[in-house]
Amino acid sequence: MSKIGPLIQRYAKQELRNSNAIFSLGLYLIGITYLIYLLGGQNAADSTWNTLLWIVIFFGAINQASRSFEFESGNYFFYYQTVAGPKETIIAKLIYNSLYMLLLSGIAWALFTLFYGNAVYNPLVFAAGLALGCVGFSAILTLANGIAERSGGNATLSSILAIPLTIPVLKIVSAINIQAMVGASLDEVYEMIGSLFALDLAIGLLAYLLFPYLWQD
Amino acid sequence: MTGRFYKALGVVLVLYSLIYGLLTTVPDLPIIEQSIRNLFYHVSMWFAMVAMMAGSFGNAIGFLRGDNLLKDTRSVSLAETGMLFAFLGLFTGMMWAKFTWGAWWTNDPKLNGSAITILIYLAYFVLRNGIEEPRKKARISAVYNIFAFVMMIVFIGILPRMTDSLHPGNGGNPGFNSYDLDNRLRLVFYPAVIGWILIGTWIAALRYRIKNLSK
Repeated sequence: MSKIGPLIQRYAKQELRNSNAIFSLGLYLIGITYLIYLLGGQNAADSTWNTLLWIVIFFGAINQASRSFEFESGNYFFYYQTVAGPKETIIAKLIYNSLYMLLLSGIAWALFTLFYGNAVYNPLVFAAGLALGCVGFSAILTLANGIAERSGGNATLSSILAIPLTIPVLKIVSAINIQAMVGASLDEVYEMIGSLFALDLAIGLLAYLLFPYLWQD
Repeated sequence: MTGRFYKALGVVLVLYSLIYGLLTTVPDLPIIEQSIRNLFYHVSMWFAMVAMMAGSFGNAIGFLRGDNLLKDTRSVSLAETGMLFAFLGLFTGMMWAKFTWGAWWTNDPKLNGSAITILIYLAYFVLRNGIEEPRKKARISAVYNIFAFVMMIVFIGILPRMTDSLHPGNGGNPGFNSYDLDNRLRLVFYPAVIGWILIGTWIAALRYRIKNLSK
């Protein structure tokens, strides 16, 4: 378990070294937000605002996650297997991808607020929903990418596998977010937040239990 | 002998539910009226589908524990049969919805759930087709199958309860509780569910044998 910290550091280093990928992700976020702005996004109603935000996050996350196992492909796979066991790898991946996605969604939210003005009346509830959503979402994407990668993977396969599975999480998150936008307090949505938290736990636990079966050859 | 017995029982129960489902008297409720009989033909498809998927899930776990390729074949046969029931459930539901709600498709949590379930399992078949080596195929698709089944249960079992649905018995619709208690309906509905599950098991067993023979 002591290997988890160094593994996360290693993933971060690899990401930073590959500055082209970060740059293109940032450019994607700014470009798509501005495109939506030009197409009339500033007049969007609450539900549309929320939908657009999640679509931006969704494709950003898919793009990021499709590179999630890039460094473990080919011969590097054997190297990583000698460095760490599957359980450590999956925990490190889950934490790293969740953090990455939290950052990504935070930036997307900030850009939306910058361009279209603040549409959220209760940022705390909104942030809680967004954060829990990101954790569940990235856990599903991580497992789907692991599956796609081990099956000789192409990027399309991981989206095909992940998209239908992410919908329960997205449905709950968007319900919470829309409540937060009209100013619901934490008491009013705690039930939904609780069920989202339970769903995240279940997804994380499944990923943890199933990953070792993928991580062998 | 047990093999023959369950097939015969399945045929008898399904025939009984098909015929007696049309003959029996039903509660007279507004809007739904005679279309309440679809309970026997539509809802039983979903029960059969969940049973098939559960069997597929159980065999996927069995494969991961024991590395027996026969379990993988059984798992995929059951998933394919489950898909058949999913499509039948979808079509019978769409017919009913057109006459009761006035549209083939509505944005109802149960409808979304079933559409997503179909997408999830189609992705499972796509995944299987993409891998050549049998053992690797079995292992990776078992992992996806287990994950997919749990998400499907969340989707069709838990999410619709959190929101209103147009389906009878949910939200502000004519109460299904009153028919749940109606023994005339139960007398056809439960045998229909059991009968279709048995027929499904039979179809899956045939597919399993064909797959093994063609190897």
